[in-house]
Amino acid sequence: MVELWMPSPELSPRVKRLREEYWSFYERDYFRNEVMAFTTGTDWDTVYNPVNWGVVPEIFPFIPSIVDSLLAGATVVPLPEGFWERSIAMRRALFFNCVLKDHLPVQILDGELIVGGQFSTALSRCLTREEAARFRPAVDRWFKDLVALNAEAVGNTGAIPGHIIPNYPKVLELGFSGIKAGIEEEMSQETDPEARESLEALAVSCDAPRILSERYAAEAERLAADPDTPAERQAELREIAAICRKVPWLPAETFHEAVQALWMTHMLVMAAESYPGAGLSYGRIDQYLYPYYRRDLDEGRLTRDRAAEILQCFWIKHNYAYDYQGRIGANQGITSGFGQLVTIGGCGQDGEDASNELTWLILDVIEKMNLLEPKPNVRLHAGTPDDLLDRVVEMVAEAQGSPFLLNFDENAIRGLRWQGLPEERLWDYAPVGCLENTLQGDDRSGTVDVNLNLAKAVELALNNGVNMVTGTRIGPATGRPESFKTFDEFYAAVKRQLLALIDRLLACAAEADRIRATWEPTPYLSTIVDGCVESRRDVTAGGPRHSYITVEGVGLATLADSVAAVKKLVFDERRVGMAELVRALRADFDGLENLRQLLVTRGPKFGNGDPYVDDIARDLSEFWTTEVFRRRSPATGRRFRGGYLSWNYWIAYGPLTASTPDGRVKGRPLSNGVCPCVGQDRSGPTSVVHSVGALNLETAPNGASHTMSFSRSVLRDPEHRKKFAAFLRAYGRLGGTALQINVIDPETLREAQRNPADYSNLLVRVTGYNAYFVSLGKAIQDEIILRESHCF
Amino acid sequence: MATIVTGEGGNAVKGVIFNIQTFSTEDGPGLRTTAFFKGCPLRCAWCHNPEGLSPKPQLIWHAARCIGCGECLLSCPNSALTRRPEGVVIDRRKCRACGTCAGVCPAAALEVVGRVISADWLAAELARDVEFYRSSGGGVTFSGGECLAQPEFYLATAGLLRAAGIHVALDTSGFAPSPVFDRAVEACDLVLFDLKLIDPDRHRRATGVDNRLILENARRLAASGRPFWVRFPVIPGYTDDDENVRAVSEFISREMPGAERVDFLAYNNLCESDYQRLDMPYPLAGRGLLSRADMDRVLAVAREAGLDPVPGGALAVDASGGGRPPSAADDRKLNGGTLQ
Repeated sequence: MVELWMPSPELSPRVKRLREEYWSFYERDYFRNEVMAFTTGTDWDTVYNPVNWGVVPEIFPFIPSIVDSLLAGATVVPLPEGFWERSIAMRRALFFNCVLKDHLPVQILDGELIVGGQFSTALSRCLTREEAARFRPAVDRWFKDLVALNAEAVGNTGAIPGHIIPNYPKVLELGFSGIKAGIEEEMSQETDPEARESLEALAVSCDAPRILSERYAAEAERLAADPDTPAERQAELREIAAICRKVPWLPAETFHEAVQALWMTHMLVMAAESYPGAGLSYGRIDQYLYPYYRRDLDEGRLTRDRAAEILQCFWIKHNYAYDYQGRIGANQGITSGFGQLVTIGGCGQDGEDASNELTWLILDVIEKMNLLEPKPNVRLHAGTPDDLLDRVVEMVAEAQGSPFLLNFDENAIRGLRWQGLPEERLWDYAPVGCLENTLQGDDRSGTVDVNLNLAKAVELALNNGVNMVTGTRIGPATGRPESFKTFDEFYAAVKRQLLALIDRLLACAAEADRIRATWEPTPYLSTIVDGCVESRRDVTAGGPRHSYITVEGVGLATLADSVAAVKKLVFDERRVGMAELVRALRADFDGLENLRQLLVTRGPKFGNGDPYVDDIARDLSEFWTTEVFRRRSPATGRRFRGGYLSWNYWIAYGPLTASTPDGRVKGRPLSNGVCPCVGQDRSGPTSVVHSVGALNLETAPNGASHTMSFSRSVLRDPEHRKKFAAFLRAYGRLGGTALQINVIDPETLREAQRNPADYSNLLVRVTGYNAYFVSLGKAIQDEIILRESHCF
Repeated sequence: MATIVTGEGGNAVKGVIFNIQTFSTEDGPGLRTTAFFKGCPLRCAWCHNPEGLSPKPQLIWHAARCIGCGECLLSCPNSALTRRPEGVVIDRRKCRACGTCAGVCPAAALEVVGRVISADWLAAELARDVEFYRSSGGGVTFSGGECLAQPEFYLATAGLLRAAGIHVALDTSGFAPSPVFDRAVEACDLVLFDLKLIDPDRHRRATGVDNRLILENARRLAASGRPFWVRFPVIPGYTDDDENVRAVSEFISREMPGAERVDFLAYNNLCESDYQRLDMPYPLAGRGLLSRADMDRVLAVAREAGLDPVPGGALAVDASGGGRPPSAADDRKLNGGTLQ
């Protein structure tokens, strides 16, 4: 049995040691990237804003104590003269620079080639007493509303940091000095004092990376001068010092400089937003790093191996984002992913393939490092070369668990076109976080800011607007279910309830957006997101050229299957009475297993290529996504757009969503992303692709999370991998925007043995013979598990 | 999309199938959809598709799905169902497989295996995955049972698919009158031809039929110019002895030299529960899988006879841990269950 997260034996001793050092959380007392709080020292200060964490319901109960304890342990930062007379943005810029200059620890780990270690912060929001007196009650009111919405399983929302691709290539090309010069040029022409003040905050923020990099340079020089440092390392440290004196302030000229500039710039976004990296993404790194790589290689300054080592050192850095979880026993976040996404591959401007040598090198780095971060996403399109696709399939087959997302250009681009983004930019899109499609460098689309439980709508339609679990009225009175004479009446009620849920949740989302836009400018990030300078607005206040808030739908298949079951069994076939159905749902099918089985086995299920339910799913998907697209957040003008990313809510909202007419019992999970309901896709993987493809996902331009599971033996040899590559090509022509392949391991089979109902779709196949795994006798199941155990 | 012409100009010939398997990776080149025809003139002791033997629809009961509600017992017009401690028992003499009980069973624990459908319908169903066939060089495979036991149905369906540009493979035992066989070969793009035993007596004992017709058709296939693969089931105690392996290998080398590929498929025993559900005795009950050593021996004999067979199917896992476990990096690795 291969252990999870094993590195490749081919790593260099340096990288191997650095990788092991990262994993030795409890041993490395000398370095941990744990949260450091910094305060202005006022009684009313805030270093942690719940609005930034509104989509993590599991921490809601702890939020008051987090707020207090972080503030209590915060370092007081002496403030510069005239601090309190400036705008909030200017205060935030000055405060950040003070922290970087005198307070954030600077440390270089032995052997590392890319430096910059401490970046977890909880920074003061720098509010005056009067501002705080308005800010805090607004947050408290908003938080109360959010907790209620979450308790009713309507959904959750916040104004979440990260989830953006800054214009990193601009930093490499111009350096922050160049960016600052551009801002100062704008300032010289700006007559409005308020606008001048916001530009000045950006100009001041351009100094931030220089301030910290200079300290790293000094530290490198100090270590280089240490007689105990081996001579070889001394030379490296001198080179590191030279690089840190130069970038990201000045333009990068070499590959090593470019990667160092990239990390420093990226790490400081996390520090400035006081957010440990979730969704802060690089975009198409193989495209914009390539010129530096090529030139160094051509001019003999770099070898492929050295470039790999530099990238590997860079790779490790991102994982320190998990350090803050180390002490709370979260096993360094192995169960979650922060999604500092790197995108590789994909098409060029004219649809041609854009992959290059660096694409291949990065794939090697991903494979050899086998770390959770940064998360790789490979863009595939009709022109992806066979050898690249084969390599990707090989990595999927050999993956020991590291997430590997595939993005399908044609389908992703179709959605962004529907959204109305500029046609000439669409080819250069990239995902953030997991799979949320955005443009690069000028697009904040708030991709996990709103999470809507779609399945709740059917519950409300069958209970006249009253939450069946809590007894609270949360939707309009759409009539007693027994009064629906036709399917259309019932369906209209479902849609009315869906609209009510949308309006309810989006009101809370808009308030989160308003609070952040008003009180939480992040001038440092605004310097590297295009549109903020031109518009004189912060990245949090609708400043980017493209600014949206994404509503992620949860439970689409649960909703569609439920509506389809009512249509077919209650109205078409009249096999189940409406009153009987509602009674059963209220009783969670207790003593009514016959009826539940009927709903499960005779209700049409999304994921089987069955137009009966696929048409309903498409109609509902188009309905709610076009409805949210009509709405905007009043404070910033940011428009809402739809998508499907269920994170862990599909499980969390299971106990808070009543039993549903698809036969799901309260407590069981909802459907995830655009996946079929657990165990309900019984017609093979190609049918699932047909169903997902039938959704017309362009109206969900964010993109749609889709996971499919295959056994290792489907990918067992080159012949089968070729077939699998062809499957992915057809997926691109028929299917969704983003796919994650799970390779089933023996443990999953054991789980299927224990909970057969969840795995009724698991098909075992041997040369011409096939069987559903759960229908086999235990002895044979055991044998298959034994065989699969030897598949590595 | 492929266009299947139906109705006028289409074909309403009807036949019986028992399964349509999408995402088939083991039934010919590329990704395929396999249609399993019901009914077979052979009775191979190792048959792994017992539902394919009888040409008639048959009722089966899935113990794992049954919730014990008893609705089926009352519904049967022929009183063929009784409840016993071991579960719902089907009186095969009374059951007409009319499907009434399956219709009322809320849990879909009762199922009629085999349905009568038209060539039009089947062709349209099989054409659904055309995008997958195109991207992979795949298509549709007709398997069974024995497709050639329903020749008109096969010809009509295959004709519709090929007219739509879909690659058609025929997986056959070769046991059909030669004129039928010749037409069937002409109606497809690739034949997957099963060859089991060369000795006529042993063939009759193991499969219930004479192999002269099969060997004759094998030669006709070789002469037809149609691309074909040969598939040899390696069954412990039935086909895996050196003598038969040598005879089969020599036959292929001598009589079927144009074979594009020869698969040696190790026996698998996953069908035992299917036999139970059909109330049929499983002739190979309790027999273990072929060992890796035996497969290596079989392959060596074949190679001596000038073949280069592709191994597949299920092998016993060396429980002692002494053998080298198969690794994912192995080319053409022998492997167990394929899950999807």
